Amino acid sequence: MGWLQGGVTEEDRLDLTATGAVLARTARLAAPYRRLGIRAFFLLVAWTGTILAGPFLVRRALDDGIRVGDSGVLFESVVAYLAAALLGYVLYRSAIVTLASVGESFLRDMRIRVFDRLLRQALGFYDRNKSGVLVSRMTSDIDSLSELVQFGLLMFTGALLQLIGTIVALGFLSGRLLLVCLISVPIVALASVKFQRDSNRAYLVVRDRIGLTLSALQEGIAGVRIVQAFGREELEASRFSRTNDSLYRSHMDSVKVAAWYLPIIEMAGTITTAAAIGIGGWWVRSGELSIGTVVAFVLLLQGMFEPVQQLSQLFNLVQSATASLSKLYELIDEPIEVPDPDEPQSLSPAGEIDVSNLSFSYGDGPRVLSNVDLTVGAGERIAFVGPTGAGKSTLAKLIARLYDPSEGSISFDGVDLRSATGRELRDRVLVVPQEGHLFTGTVADNIRIAKPDASDDEVRDALDRIGVLGRIEGFENGLHTEVREGGARLSAGERQLVSLARAALADPAVLVLDEATSSLDPGTELIVEGALEELMTDRTVIAIAHRLSTSQRCDRVAVIDEGGIAEIGTHDDLVAAGGHYAALFDAWQRGQP
Amino acid sequence: MSGQQPSDEPTGSSEPSNERDSIDGSPANSRGRHLLVDALRRQRLGLLMGMGAALGWTAFRVTVPRLIQLGIDRGIRGTDPLWRWSLFIAIAGMFSGIFLGLRRYTAFRNARRVEARTRDRLFAHIQRLHIAYHDVTATGELMSRANTDLQQFQNVVTMVPITTGNALIVVAVAVVMLLTDPVLALLALIGLPLVNLLGKKFSEKLHPAVLAVQKESAELAGVVEETVAGMRVVKGFGAEGVQAEKLVTEADDVYRESIRVSRIRARYLPGIELVPNVGLVIVLAYGGQLVIDDQLTIGQLVGFNLYVLMLIQPLRMLGMVVAQWQRAIAAGDRIAEVLDTAPVIVDPSHPTALPEATRTSPVGRIEFNHVHFGYAGGSGPPVLTDFHLTINAGESVAIVGPTGCGKSTVARLAPRFYDVDDGSILLDGIDLRELERRELRRAISLVFEDTFLFSGTIRENIAFADPDASMDDVRQAATLAGARDFIEDFELGFDTQLGERGLSLSGGQRQRISIARSLLANPRVLILDDATSAVDPTKEHEIRDAMQEVMAKRTTIVIAHRAATISLADRVVVLDEGRIVAEGTHSDLLATNERYREILAASDAGESDDTPVPAGAS
Ligand SMILES: Nc1ncnc2c1ncn2[C@@H]1O[C@H](COP(=O)(O)OP(=O)(O)OP(=O)(O)O)[C@@H](O)[C@H]1O
Ligand SMILES: Nc1ncnc2c1ncn2[C@@H]1O[C@H](COP(=O)(O)OP(=O)(O)OP(=O)(O)O)[C@@H](O)[C@H]1O
Ligand SMILES: [Mg+2]
Repeated sequence: MGWLQGGVTEEDRLDLTATGAVLARTARLAAPYRRLGIRAFFLLVAWTGTILAGPFLVRRALDDGIRVGDSGVLFESVVAYLAAALLGYVLYRSAIVTLASVGESFLRDMRIRVFDRLLRQALGFYDRNKSGVLVSRMTSDIDSLSELVQFGLLMFTGALLQLIGTIVALGFLSGRLLLVCLISVPIVALASVKFQRDSNRAYLVVRDRIGLTLSALQEGIAGVRIVQAFGREELEASRFSRTNDSLYRSHMDSVKVAAWYLPIIEMAGTITTAAAIGIGGWWVRSGELSIGTVVAFVLLLQGMFEPVQQLSQLFNLVQSATASLSKLYELIDEPIEVPDPDEPQSLSPAGEIDVSNLSFSYGDGPRVLSNVDLTVGAGERIAFVGPTGAGKSTLAKLIARLYDPSEGSISFDGVDLRSATGRELRDRVLVVPQEGHLFTGTVADNIRIAKPDASDDEVRDALDRIGVLGRIEGFENGLHTEVREGGARLSAGERQLVSLARAALADPAVLVLDEATSSLDPGTELIVEGALEELMTDRTVIAIAHRLSTSQRCDRVAVIDEGGIAEIGTHDDLVAAGGHYAALFDAWQRGQP
Repeated sequence: MSGQQPSDEPTGSSEPSNERDSIDGSPANSRGRHLLVDALRRQRLGLLMGMGAALGWTAFRVTVPRLIQLGIDRGIRGTDPLWRWSLFIAIAGMFSGIFLGLRRYTAFRNARRVEARTRDRLFAHIQRLHIAYHDVTATGELMSRANTDLQQFQNVVTMVPITTGNALIVVAVAVVMLLTDPVLALLALIGLPLVNLLGKKFSEKLHPAVLAVQKESAELAGVVEETVAGMRVVKGFGAEGVQAEKLVTEADDVYRESIRVSRIRARYLPGIELVPNVGLVIVLAYGGQLVIDDQLTIGQLVGFNLYVLMLIQPLRMLGMVVAQWQRAIAAGDRIAEVLDTAPVIVDPSHPTALPEATRTSPVGRIEFNHVHFGYAGGSGPPVLTDFHLTINAGESVAIVGPTGCGKSTVARLAPRFYDVDDGSILLDGIDLRELERRELRRAISLVFEDTFLFSGTIRENIAFADPDASMDDVRQAATLAGARDFIEDFELGFDTQLGERGLSLSGGQRQRISIARSLLANPRVLILDDATSAVDPTKEHEIRDAMQEVMAKRTTIVIAHRAATISLADRVVVLDEGRIVAEGTHSDLLATNERYREILAASDAGESDDTPVPAGAS
């Protein structure tokens, strides 16, 4: 259930070719910043040089100055050392800024690119992908990249350069002594490989458990009303405690991994120093090495083991960032199911909808609609009725081109929907879904969603046109009342009214109401529908409703059953014909006042 | 919650986390401090061990440069056997390594314990907090209390042994240096407090900037979450452009704040590196001259050099620790604020037990006694005014009223999700406030208008009130709720998993599972808040039959808009603007009450049976 974190498991391990592909693509995407990137790299190289210069200058001061009593050489070395330090200051400073600007620009592009892609995907994509996973691409995956950009990259490159630079410098000082110092390499290498592997494993477990804990937390908070309604507070707390405890244990496992590794690196550092003193000192005694060289060695060694340790810790970060990148690329590469045409045709302001020989199934699921033919005239009001799961909503969604037909076609005023742009189509055809999902913000913000530049007066006007302005203005802050998370501040019916007001504000040529009034009391429903009817004269309305009072008020009724249109005609004709609809209406009537 | 292995020394780069307002130790922080001190006290054994390890680490660590110095002077330049000094260095290194590991382990164990324990406490407390609190507190906010704030808070527990070690190192090194050569020591050390100062400044500047980045990232995540959750609305209304623009704004904000963070890094980090380097230059210049003048040995010079290097990290850390402490206290304060919020809806100290049912006196009588109620603790506009209603044991009452009149509010008051502002509610003669909540909520079960199902199997969801319920009970509840057929049609039947809020079920199916969940509790009073709105007309009669059976056995309050459901009730109460405006049977009201007809959109009495309602009627 680790969906909050996007289910991190083995897929976090990439093989080499995949890593290569990811890196190559990243380089291509980052092309606009290539020159800056190269500059950052050379700044870092130069900075590493200034760090390594220190011990060399100490050696010169010792061997050529101090030991022979030459204050001049000492002075020269001191000045050079100071200059190197100051230069290092400047280089480091601009390296940080340059690297950050490359990384952050790349991240900004990436965020916008991925989100754009998400927005362009059709609803079918959202049927297949859990929303938690999609959100985690934009959050935890991009976060792990930004962690890398914000400090990992600098530290990683810096540490790598410093490690390489130190080894080169040591070899340059004395190849023989370097060989001696290499005695610790096998241990360090083995320990680092093992650490890297163990800590990666521990890290993945931790990430997984964090995901579990967060979703348990989230569910516990979001479902608190149900928990309390059933008196399960204590039970839920103890269940959470178990999840939380497993997170604690995974944390401890990862602490243990680091707790043996760090000492080994620290020991290796000191033992190498001991060897340099012992054997190097021996060679100094025998005159084969200068004391300055040994001292420079000792000083350089101090700066060598920290990078090793940093590298093996940062390696996980780099690895998970690469994995994140590859997941993001996968998302970007996902084809768009309902694409805009290359050469769009423009749509006339109004027109008839023609569904011809349409068949549809969700993904590779069973046929939901087969061979449907239907013409809805401009300005007509038509109701879709029928049992649950018959395909009413599906047909409505196809007419709004939220999906494309598997076979057959739908056209608006003679233009196939697939040849129009999504933008233009949406200006003509709007769908009001049953759950009028509200976004955090005020009532007015929520109504404006289909027409962002609408003024408060226009919003008020829209509410007025569906006959409910008084109710909303009755709230303490009127239009500017915060609806809170998921619209919790409003009653169920009020949420639907806001959703309907959105449609009234946008004023489209074709309006699809998919059970958009199911939570309203019939009285309010009548008022709203009456108002919409007036508002929508000359406009087409497709209404899906379980309350047959709605279908009674429409020009025509289409009974949808088992994936096709079973009957179609005016309410009166269908009742008179004594078929499906008549039976349905009869059942409904018997329940009516 | 960063899963990343934090480095042993949380430098400026191991990111602190979250969150708004006062970061500095303002007086309001005493609660946070109290929480922290309390947490530390509970961990005193672990802390003691950690500090012991830190002491050991310091002792051996400080010995190493001294041994190197002696190795150079007595071994390389003198006549002592070299291997002896090498061995000493190696042994000191071994021990300092062991203590380092020990210190790290205990430090993190203490911190993770504090974290786990506090999170448990928080969760349990959040579960108990009254609904009015949850109404105004966003989920995300509580999430960050139990997550990022807690992270910050536990960080400081890690700091205790580490800071002890660092402080000891600084003192020990300074003493050793001063003993060796006071003047050189002073010269070498003179600049180093600057590292401390810079570290402190850096931390102070960095933190608000990092918070800003986190705030912007959270806002960006908010846009993404909402957009994905509301994708049907976004697509249906063609709001892609609006959302895309929102995201660009947020992405630009994140970019701007992140660049600001890197500027701060660029301003301080190189300086923090530079100062000790200058110290090294001074040591080399003055110390080198001393060696030339034979007042200092080469080994001592090298030793000095190594000591200066050794001081950099601890000083930098000590500079940051103050700011980190303040942050932890501020985070602790926010956590304590939640923990100290007393639940308003609490059990009485001497609860009264509900009377048991006997043959002569059935149970489930509920009385609303002149109830007045408004949200926001009564400070909001009144929602219910003088709501007075008695429902007898076994009776079923329908509440009918226009949108927003307060029907759901009545439903929420009965299980005591909120306390009434005035008046009282009695169950079987006992004021709800005198009952134990657990008992009350077993007795009164509410089916909410928006169904929330947990991730888990269908069975687990239905058996929510009683996880140990037998399969037979679960099946029976499902049958009564009209859910059994479709559940058994699923491949896995009752073991079907519901993911992400159970969205894979249709609205009608979810409603029926949540009815089954309430029925399993076998309550005295069942409240159905518009719980059949998503049922299609072909199923109408099935539900009707099922409802009839359910209602026969207990007191029932039904909130509905459908005449078919309403007419099942013994009595109908018409609610308008928070007041009861009429009462009677469905048919009486239809015949006599104009407002009732208006609400149900029914035409005039008498004609209702066969005349279709003309559009825009009444
Ligand atoms: N996103 C989807 N992915 C896969 N199958 C789906 C999806 N949406 C609907 N279905 C299936 O397609 C069929 C038709 O569903 P549709 O929502 O069109 O029915 P409906 O007539 O609108 O029913 P209701 O009255 O319950 O709204 C059902 O069997 C349903 O399970
Ligand atoms: N948590 C809340 N905080 C503040 N006001 C609220 C809250 N919940 C509901 N309200 C307001 O209280 C009034 C009554 O709401 P309630 O949910 O009881 O209405 P309802 O009769 O159930 O309506 P519907 O039929 O639309 O569900 C409404 O005006 C609503 O805006
Ligand atoms: Mg309600």
